[in-house]
Amino acid sequence: MARMKFLCDAERCIGCNACVTACNNEHDVPWGINRRHVITLKDGESGEKSISVACMHCTDAPCAAVCPVDCFYTTPDGIVLHDKDLCIGCGYCFYACPFGAPQFPEQSSFGVHGKMDKCTFCAGGPPPDGSEEEYQKYGRNRIAEGKLPLCAEMCATKALLGGDGDVVSEIYIQRVTQRGGRPDTWGWNIAYTFKTDKEKKP
Amino acid sequence: MKPFHKKWLQRISSEPASQRGIDRRTFLIRGGVALGSGALLGVLPLSCMRQATTEERKNFPRPGVKTEYRRTICNHCSVGCGVIAELQNGVWVGQEPDYESPINLGAHCPKGASVRDHGFGHLRVKFPMKLANGTWKRLSWDQAINEIGDRLLKIREESGPDAVFWCGSSKASNEGAYLQGKFAALWGTNNVDNQARICHSTTVAGVASTWGYGAMTNSYNDMRNSRAMLFLGSNAAEAHPVAMQHILRAKEGGSKMIVVDPRFTRTAAHADIFARIRSGTDIPFIYGLLWNVFKNGWEDKDYIARRVYAMDDIRKEVEKWPPEVVENVTGIPKDKVRLIAETMAKNRPSTIVWCMGVTQHHIASHTVRLFCIFQLALGNIGVSGGGANIFRGHDNVQGATDVGPNCHTLSCYYGLAEGAWKHWAEVWGVDYEWIKSRFDLSRKYDAGGGKMAYPMNMPGIPVSRWIDGVLEDKANLSQKDNIRAVFFQGHACNSQTRGVEMKKALEKLDMLVISDPYPTHMSVMSDRKNDTYLLPTCTQFETSGSATASNRSLQWREKIIEPLYESKPDHAILYLLARKLGFEKEMFKNIKVEKDEPGVEDILREINRGAWTIGYTGQSPERLKLHAQHRGTFDPLTLKAEGGPCKGDYYGLPWPCWGKPEMKHPGTPILYDPSKPVAEGGLVFRAAWGTERNGVPLLAADGVYSRGSDIKSGYPEFTSDTLKKLGWWDELTPEEKKAAEGRNWKTDLSGGIQRVVIKHGCAPFGNGRARCNVWEYPDPIPVHREPLYTPRFDLVEKYPTYPDRKAYWRLPTRYQSIQKVNHSAKYPLIFTSGRLVEYEGGGADTRSNRWLAKLRPEMFAEVNPKDAADAGIFNGQYMWLEGAEGGRIKVRALVTPRVGPGTVWTPFHFGGWFQGKDLVDRYPEGTAPWVRGEACNTATTYGYDSVTQMQETKATLCRITPA
Amino acid sequence: MKPGGYVLMLMAFLVPAVLTGCSYESRETTLHKPGVYKGVKDDLLARQHRQELIDRFKLVQTDR
Repeated sequence: MARMKFLCDAERCIGCNACVTACNNEHDVPWGINRRHVITLKDGESGEKSISVACMHCTDAPCAAVCPVDCFYTTPDGIVLHDKDLCIGCGYCFYACPFGAPQFPEQSSFGVHGKMDKCTFCAGGPPPDGSEEEYQKYGRNRIAEGKLPLCAEMCATKALLGGDGDVVSEIYIQRVTQRGGRPDTWGWNIAYTFKTDKEKKP
Repeated sequence: MKPFHKKWLQRISSEPASQRGIDRRTFLIRGGVALGSGALLGVLPLSCMRQATTEERKNFPRPGVKTEYRRTICNHCSVGCGVIAELQNGVWVGQEPDYESPINLGAHCPKGASVRDHGFGHLRVKFPMKLANGTWKRLSWDQAINEIGDRLLKIREESGPDAVFWCGSSKASNEGAYLQGKFAALWGTNNVDNQARICHSTTVAGVASTWGYGAMTNSYNDMRNSRAMLFLGSNAAEAHPVAMQHILRAKEGGSKMIVVDPRFTRTAAHADIFARIRSGTDIPFIYGLLWNVFKNGWEDKDYIARRVYAMDDIRKEVEKWPPEVVENVTGIPKDKVRLIAETMAKNRPSTIVWCMGVTQHHIASHTVRLFCIFQLALGNIGVSGGGANIFRGHDNVQGATDVGPNCHTLSCYYGLAEGAWKHWAEVWGVDYEWIKSRFDLSRKYDAGGGKMAYPMNMPGIPVSRWIDGVLEDKANLSQKDNIRAVFFQGHACNSQTRGVEMKKALEKLDMLVISDPYPTHMSVMSDRKNDTYLLPTCTQFETSGSATASNRSLQWREKIIEPLYESKPDHAILYLLARKLGFEKEMFKNIKVEKDEPGVEDILREINRGAWTIGYTGQSPERLKLHAQHRGTFDPLTLKAEGGPCKGDYYGLPWPCWGKPEMKHPGTPILYDPSKPVAEGGLVFRAAWGTERNGVPLLAADGVYSRGSDIKSGYPEFTSDTLKKLGWWDELTPEEKKAAEGRNWKTDLSGGIQRVVIKHGCAPFGNGRARCNVWEYPDPIPVHREPLYTPRFDLVEKYPTYPDRKAYWRLPTRYQSIQKVNHSAKYPLIFTSGRLVEYEGGGADTRSNRWLAKLRPEMFAEVNPKDAADAGIFNGQYMWLEGAEGGRIKVRALVTPRVGPGTVWTPFHFGGWFQGKDLVDRYPEGTAPWVRGEACNTATTYGYDSVTQMQETKATLCRITPA
Repeated sequence: MKPGGYVLMLMAFLVPAVLTGCSYESRETTLHKPGVYKGVKDDLLARQHRQELIDRFKLVQTDR
């Protein structure tokens, strides 16, 4: 079975936030919640890189592992979803997630956070596909319509790719090869202890 | 319970946690509902910060309801991304990516991804309003039109037609913009303008004077063929994000990306080479590049000999710019200048891109010429992957520039001479003498340069100077009286300089009319208490029409939703006003008007009948709609349809699309490309300046012609006489002969001359050379002049500005009197401004968009850590930024190394504050934008281009102090 | 029987008894909700859907 994955190509990301806005638009995400956000490292300096982050739909999802009421489930496509009816707003999933994907609507340090909301890979939630209830709680279900997440489909530079993991990898490999055979993703030079051309040139 | 076990088993299950019946937790949650504590858990969407209104709840997609898809073009920037709107029962419920569009391939920037918010329109002006005694009163349309019309007629009687300034818009469609220009012409004034003035007016003037047309020569898509790209004063990653798709693909293909900017922009973050330049020193930089090019013999000598005029004059000037001098003036190290020159020269075809960073200076008309000259020296013009790729601003600024309201020319650059008026009078079907009678014919006024002219034949007051038209002593104006009323349709005011004086001008006006979807900064920035009108105007999503993208392609927009609230489209408002003012019959003679709304297709057809100069004649509504319908058949690299119903056409029929629509010219994708026949989109340089000057030929050399041309050398522009001499006259049909007799390719309304000329493979506008020496300009060869407000007062003596002018476009205009004072002592920092990706233009509509407002909630200024430390300002602190003419703005400091030491940068999109005060209470109820902030132009200063009156926004001075 | 034998017999009974108590038994019951199918998803349809999504990806997100 294919796994649905996101990949944000940092070489192409211009930090424009089209993905964030497309998501807000499609699911009418309330003010205060950003299911997707763009992070810019070394802002304003040489080596500036932007990347778009949302729920990464982990194969071994830490959020699902720690949820005390077990409201997470993974679809056969590998999409990690949750049931807001069961969520108690404890916030454990937020602690567990390395990407900060779970978002909570209530802005208080104490008390109820409200129902957790996060990127659904545009695959909705437990209610029937395309139903009004599903839209109200989870947003649009594009996967059921045979479409892919709007953030990836509307990315300004096609930096953000979202779809079948194998196909996404294929595309990325093509790009890397075209760029000269080694990814400029950060961490590469740390992992392999050699400087990329970018680091060598001022 | 062993939760770990459960999880482990259930992780791969596709079912949600199964029902356990009501248990303690569920009970508590449902109890919470009863308590009604804040959020309604589990039942309604958690729009907790702000309860969703009933209106919003309406605009979501419902299952089982029929869904319709309509296509339009985004109304923000000039890339022209396709937008697909999902509609249910006429309500806009979603957006889909327009992946078939060859221009954006489905992509959007945040502005394009957020356009559905227009379907909600919470903060729109909902009905006509009038400011009376400081409060906004609701009016009916009839009342509003009658009151405004009566006042205008009274002002006209007392002070003449030039006492009203009509500001049109580059956010209007081609049809709306065209009517705006026509409206002012029939009212009897040339005081009409649009955003192009403050955008690329210098580009159009400078580039057109070099080789014929002042528009982007290639296209965004074509940049994928470039081997090197130089971005000067262009922040494409924020201003044209979707264009970056093509640019980054080019980079992936091995193209070298060079960015030259005072800031390390988001575009620079992707560049291979970045050079930090001092604002306003573009001319020395290009001379520095040319110095390296000529010294190393990298120029294309053959190309220059065959197609260029007066390159030797440039060589002489280049000698004044050796590397050390360039480094001193621009701040760029000489090795880097050499590296950039080498990269551009050795990686051809290379392209050059520029935007506001270059155009908004008082010498910019000359700067852009030098950019063209650089490309000519490298032989990069007229080739795929090369060109002068001018990224225009607003979605239809290209169209508004071409066919719309301009104070210095009638539609399609015909000019303002008698011949131009007679041409359009004929197209409009209106008597020329009647039009003439509408103007102030009492006397001739000073038209500058020692000439006298009637207002009808003299450029009007441009939008960059309208405040001077109001405030200047009327004895100094080249018209009867001051401007007493302004009508702004679709134009912000916080994008023009000198906000402090603008406030005074607004307070002096007899009447202010704002026709806009949103109230804009203009409705609140002054202390006016009376006689301000707000007319609710539709956005481009509530009407259909065409828009011209930066690459000259015209795209058709479908109407997405019915006008919201009581708003009306631009053309309907102009119809109502024309009817009140008494000239609607003349204005809409050939345009069908149904239920008080002019037909959009008819307007485009009228443009087609008259736009012979630039080839807006072949883009009929039918052809454009066909292109929109079959847009998926166009190749994204060449923009050509290799098959399908549009076979052979280039997407959007980029102008010049010669001849009548029946001739089916495919459009010209790359300007001045002689490798194709003219009939297939090829072209040569225009021969607009005669055949020779001082014995040196201005026509192309022998053997230089577009493919398939019957004339195998340079030739002048075509007239009926030329055709007769060539023996081609008899190829015209009898009707064509009748219309074309005594006319030329621009004024022959039958199109016969163009048809026959193109049949013989020739370009209607001649085959000339590109000029390096533009003798009509103040500086025939571009020379560097320091900005009026410069931090390098030591350079002013060597690179001074122009002497003051007494009458320049009807106004006295100062240059030297400003520059001779050393302002840098008191105001040591360069103050420049630019764009953010989240907002567009004056920001009235984007700052009222919920999803965009989320992304950038506050105005700010970027300050280098060194300057911040010197001034005692911390990151995030409020500071006062005082401009060199005393205007002050209170903004948050963003301390970042993005700007170099000595430069302060602000975005220009904000409005709704004035000198530290939030004006939220002045907005009509329910229309204050979500995000308000200081307009940076409150603190900007005087300075106007010597050819086009463009404002000098990019290089002025300021100082900063903690607030 | 020796006392150790009684202990052993006790252990022989107790230990299995205790172990059965410790074994995990699922308390899950699938409640029926009319009109809602809770079984495993259809394999053929899933494969078709997967191909649909791959085609969509290639149509919209690749560099055309």
